[in-house]
Amino acid sequence: MKNLSLENLSKTYFDPYAGTTVNAVQDVSLNVAAGEFVAVVGPSGCGKTTILNMIAGFVPISGGRVLVGGKEVKGPGPDRGVVFQSFALFPWKTVAENVTFGPKMRGVGKAERAKIAEEYLALAGLSHAADRYPNELSGGMQQRVGVVRALANNPDVLLMDEPFASVDAQTRMTLQEELTRIWEERRPTVIFITHDVAEAVFLANRVVVLSKGNVLEEVDIDLPRPRSWDRLVEDGDFKGLSNKVLQLVRSA
Amino acid sequence: MTYAQSLWGMYVRWAAAWPALSAFAPFVPLIALWGFVVWLELFPRVFLPGPFEVLQTSWSLLYKGILPAYLGDSMVRLAVGAAAGMALAIPLGIFIGLNQRAHDATWPVLLFFQAIGDIAWLPILLVWFGFGLTTMTFVIVYTVMFPVILNTVLGIRSARPELERAAQSLGASRTRILFEVTLPGALPNIITGLRNGLGYGWRALIAAEIIVGTSGIGFLMFDARRAGSVDEIVVGMIVLGILWYIVDSWILAPIERATGERWGLVTT
Ligand SMILES: Nc1ncnc2c1ncn2[C@@H]1O[C@H](COP(=O)(O)OP(=O)(O)OP(=O)(O)O)[C@@H](O)[C@H]1O
Ligand SMILES: [Mg+2]
Repeated sequence: MKNLSLENLSKTYFDPYAGTTVNAVQDVSLNVAAGEFVAVVGPSGCGKTTILNMIAGFVPISGGRVLVGGKEVKGPGPDRGVVFQSFALFPWKTVAENVTFGPKMRGVGKAERAKIAEEYLALAGLSHAADRYPNELSGGMQQRVGVVRALANNPDVLLMDEPFASVDAQTRMTLQEELTRIWEERRPTVIFITHDVAEAVFLANRVVVLSKGNVLEEVDIDLPRPRSWDRLVEDGDFKGLSNKVLQLVRSA
Repeated sequence: MTYAQSLWGMYVRWAAAWPALSAFAPFVPLIALWGFVVWLELFPRVFLPGPFEVLQTSWSLLYKGILPAYLGDSMVRLAVGAAAGMALAIPLGIFIGLNQRAHDATWPVLLFFQAIGDIAWLPILLVWFGFGLTTMTFVIVYTVMFPVILNTVLGIRSARPELERAAQSLGASRTRILFEVTLPGALPNIITGLRNGLGYGWRALIAAEIIVGTSGIGFLMFDARRAGSVDEIVVGMIVLGILWYIVDSWILAPIERATGERWGLVTT
């Protein structure tokens, strides 16, 4: 795991039909320490996805730099694992093949890949589904695969854009608890984008509130770990922090 | 009622044992109707032969070896033409699908030539290549190619961008993405192109055989017309239908079940 830093990151979109430009992200600087879990919240259209896509290398950067472990990155790469809101699993590959896709691209042999599949499917509680195809799984199970597929490739940074937004509330809470457990176990560096303030506070060490393409404020979340909804749902500190972040988002 | 039920039960058990039976069953009323119309003698027998005469003629054609030989000729022509057509069309479709400039440059031309349907080429091909195998092969290859190219292009261009992004973020190179992501995603479209191509190709072949006329099912039918034996024409028509059913249910449908349907890319 490595640290991630954004230096004066900016993005200007150009609309060729209207002939106008949109400053989606303006001069955002952020440091994420190795092994830190940072959540990014903010109202719709404030540039969260744009920031994540620039870090992932999916869209060109208009200004500034992205550094992973001190090295500037250009374009997508296996050092930055991505978990998508739409899961983006390969429909023609089994669950095990999806999970070991990254290692396969690195040239890891079959026997070794089988071991990796076993390890990570166990981590996600999906050992029984190894040979199924994604369309045979529920949304929650599909996103578990999405998370361990990214992890199994040993990225330096894990990028997640509203990964739990399209599953039901019940499943979402389970997935959040599983993600904290996995994070506590493995300590990846994570940037987690979400609309859901409670989700951000529950998962993160630090919550970054964005407003119109700028960082409005950063809130440290020093809640004890391991975290679980059973404990936090009635917890005063949790409620206080959630309220604070919520007020910031509403003022953004 | 119980008698009918037990009869029905028997049919269900038989159909389970021989799937061909359940494919044949829908034709029973059709054949009965045919037999009935013939029995009414609305038309002279030489114009409209009955099911039994047609069966007899099929048997004698089979027995004399004409039907197997002609069928073999037609099938080989289709198989060779289709294989050549696919071998040209799939790589071309992939190239055009991946390359925006190639797409801009070729798409109007492709649509233009697709519109000049298979048999519309026959007159000029007969002038160029004469009544022979070259003409027939050209028509089949041509007919198979266009649906396959167009559908392959469509499949490649309708790839989900986030799957490509996922693959990139997992370290896949351009080439690996093509083979692991883009092509499997386009496969259902490619198969649809193949299905259309084979269907059109089969029809084009029959037309070509009628006109070029040396052997094959199309020739059999047209030759029978000259000899005035309507029952042989009907045999030819029935063979065409059966053959397409076999190609579809033994080759195309199983491929579709094992790919797109299995992956949930096409809903059935
Ligand atoms: N491809 C694009 N072309 C032009 N403008 C864009 C493009 N993508 C995003 N934008 C604009 O950039 C701004 C930020 O968009 P972005 O998708 O990053 O917001 P977001 O914070 O992720 O929103 P949401 O919470 O709704 O997902 C918006 O004003 C949006 O309209
Ligand atoms: Mg977004």
